Amino acid sequence: MPITTDVTTAAAADDPDTGLRAVRALRDLADRLEVLQVGSARDRGWSWQQIADALGVSKQAVHKKHATSRRDR
Amino acid sequence: MFERFTDEARLAVVRAQEEARQLDASRIEPVHLLLALTRDTGRGGTALAASGVDHATLRAALTPDALDADVLAAVGVDLAQVRATTEAVFGPGALDRGRGPVRGHLPFTDGSKRALEETLRAALQRKERRLDTGHVLLGVLAVADPTVRRVLARLGTDDDRLGAGLDSGPAA
Repeated sequence: MPITTDVTTAAAADDPDTGLRAVRALRDLADRLEVLQVGSARDRGWSWQQIADALGVSKQAVHKKHATSRRDR
Repeated sequence: MFERFTDEARLAVVRAQEEARQLDASRIEPVHLLLALTRDTGRGGTALAASGVDHATLRAALTPDALDADVLAAVGVDLAQVRATTEAVFGPGALDRGRGPVRGHLPFTDGSKRALEETLRAALQRKERRLDTGHVLLGVLAVADPTVRRVLARLGTDDDRLGAGLDSGPAA
């Protein structure tokens, strides 16, 4: 992700409303990327445990979140 | 608690789930309750319509894409760039397909749960036995959800005006 630290963006994020909405958008963005990356990892034969380790969460958590939306349980 | 809801109020809660689903949300947020209320013909929907808050305008006022490029730019993330790199790997529209449809019942967010609690409180305070869509609207307004506030402001109204519109009308 390109991170810029110029003064105008820093000033905009100083507003809690903008800052909090940005956090929410980042979470949403991360969720979407997670679905894509988990799908790609499964397609390449990664185990749920390997994916869980890479994401830093439990195997149960990653399985619960992604296995139902994928056919490969 | 729901047994004390009028049919219209129950319908609004059911519709909130439909609204959330249509917006690709994974949870039912207070703003989805508000959207559902704009389709109501009872007290809540009438108060909203009187303030110019109808379904189409509210839908339009909501950012269709939760990935708000402007707020992301404010923290230094260039959404266009992220989109471009993601699409280069996963194909066009990958970022928008990413979440996939959520199956089963959508859960309520804490804010929506509180809105339903406030619905009950609003009826109790007015010593009204039945919980109608007017109470649901008061419940949604009571939790001061930032998204609800923002869209109402964008539509030129606020909690006070909507609340006043309700109290002038007859209760169920």
